[in-house]
Amino acid sequence: MTSPVSSSVPALSLRGLSVTRGRRQVLAVEALDVLAGETVAVLGPNGAGKSTLLLAAALLLPARGEVRVFGEAASRTNRVRLRRLTSTVFQDSALLDMAADRNVEQALAIHAVPRSRRRERARHWLDRLGVRARAEARPHQLSGGEAQRVSLARALAVEPRLLFLDEPFSGLDYTTRARLVGEMRALIQETGVTALLTTHDHAEAAVLADRVVVLIDGRVAQVGPTHEVLRAPATEDVARFLGYAVVTAAALGLPGEGRLAVPSDAVRLVAAGTAGAREARVLAVEGAAGGARLALEAGGAEFAADVTLEALTSQRWATGDVAHVCIDGARTARL
Amino acid sequence: MALIWEALGEAWRLLSTGEGDIYAIALRTAVITGCSTLVAALVGLPLGLAVALGRFPGQRAFVSLANAGTGMPPVVAGLLVSITLWRSGPLGALGLIYTPGAIVVAQALIATPIVVAVTAAAVMALPPALHYQIRAMGAGTPRYLWLVAREARVPILVAIMAGFGSVVSEVGASMMVGGNLAGETRVLTTAAVLEVSRGNFGTALALGFILLAMIGAVAVVLTTVQQRARRA
Repeated sequence: MTSPVSSSVPALSLRGLSVTRGRRQVLAVEALDVLAGETVAVLGPNGAGKSTLLLAAALLLPARGEVRVFGEAASRTNRVRLRRLTSTVFQDSALLDMAADRNVEQALAIHAVPRSRRRERARHWLDRLGVRARAEARPHQLSGGEAQRVSLARALAVEPRLLFLDEPFSGLDYTTRARLVGEMRALIQETGVTALLTTHDHAEAAVLADRVVVLIDGRVAQVGPTHEVLRAPATEDVARFLGYAVVTAAALGLPGEGRLAVPSDAVRLVAAGTAGAREARVLAVEGAAGGARLALEAGGAEFAADVTLEALTSQRWATGDVAHVCIDGARTARL
Repeated sequence: MALIWEALGEAWRLLSTGEGDIYAIALRTAVITGCSTLVAALVGLPLGLAVALGRFPGQRAFVSLANAGTGMPPVVAGLLVSITLWRSGPLGALGLIYTPGAIVVAQALIATPIVVAVTAAAVMALPPALHYQIRAMGAGTPRYLWLVAREARVPILVAIMAGFGSVVSEVGASMMVGGNLAGETRVLTTAAVLEVSRGNFGTALALGFILLAMIGAVAVVLTTVQQRARRA
């Protein structure tokens, strides 16, 4: 699908990119490259500037600094042409008020695909995204998942060289989201398209991205291969955003000095008397998609432990209970 | 009471026989009002889009002006156009005063702010992501504007129809700039005023019924469009 590109030229190159709203600088990115064929996820909490970064990179938002798309610096004169090398999918599927297939055909018309080939290509991509049967449905007749599939079909039908995905799955229910993320991974691999994705979901980034950029307060806090960033946060802010507890080693009785990032899956609930176990007080029982965890406190340090739904119901954990935990030191990261 | 029955009977006779020039007046009204609505749409639509999508100094003041203009009294519009088109006025050389053209100008002045204000409001109410999406699809400015206007087509059509409704029923501006000349600038409203002043209530009622029918037709079109949009 994508035309071959020189690996030496990044698909997307951002230099000194900044966006200011009023007097507040909401984005300041010194340098960021997305290499041809790779998928980069921009992770960050709400309000971190993820969407602003994506809009500026997609040449949809005025920004200071330089944006290069496949080596060509964007300017007022070539912006529309460069946008046609890309496609963007938003959280809100933003379908035009016309039938699903006509939405795709409209995008193809903008890309000067001959009228005789538009319908066939639109139907192909709707089929590929599993919504061919809904080709004649209007946007309000589609479910959230269907609408987002049509939006993805519209984006991919024009055979973009660079795909921007702005939290495209966050408005969907858990099951639809999980399925669509998996399908998106397959589509990215199949087409070889370069992709820049924004999300606040680590799992989504882990499934889709080769590299992760963590954005905190509009600035790049860490960038690296996905597994590295997710397993070894570099700063306390990144660690906290990724769901790690930040504690001192001494507070948990672990060897070494300084502060540690402790993921909830490194904390194992064990029976009283287990070797190496220590007591922790349950502060709260927290729920999350597909699982639950206990917020714990020990030695003045607050941290969390994953707990299966079965264990949660059988143990009937409540605030103030005493739990026994073992911490896998190898899974913690030094800050 | 006898007066009313007598007037209704006369109105029915005129409507059924087409006697006099009531249908000629109705046709002239439809043509003049149609032209002024068309002018209002041609001027108001681009202005409404510019107000909603553009960034220019005084934009907020312009929006306020358009909003205020939706309540433009026809008499004031008529006065402004009269002064401008008066023989000794700035555009007097055009010789438009007391012509159907003058009525078109005055009525367009009444209807344009309605089209501008409603178009701008409709476009500004579209989801921001839609604007980004259309541009992200690679649309150039003409296609972008076309797709945005298409997305807001129902309220825009409502604005145009509302503009038509407001000018077809106005009398002050048409009287002032048209002069109510028989066979030339006499429209339904000005003719009805004249017939009432003469005590010809039957004719005035016949004219009134035609006017109501035209406004009713506009309402039917509007309702149909809105219901289709809701069903689609």
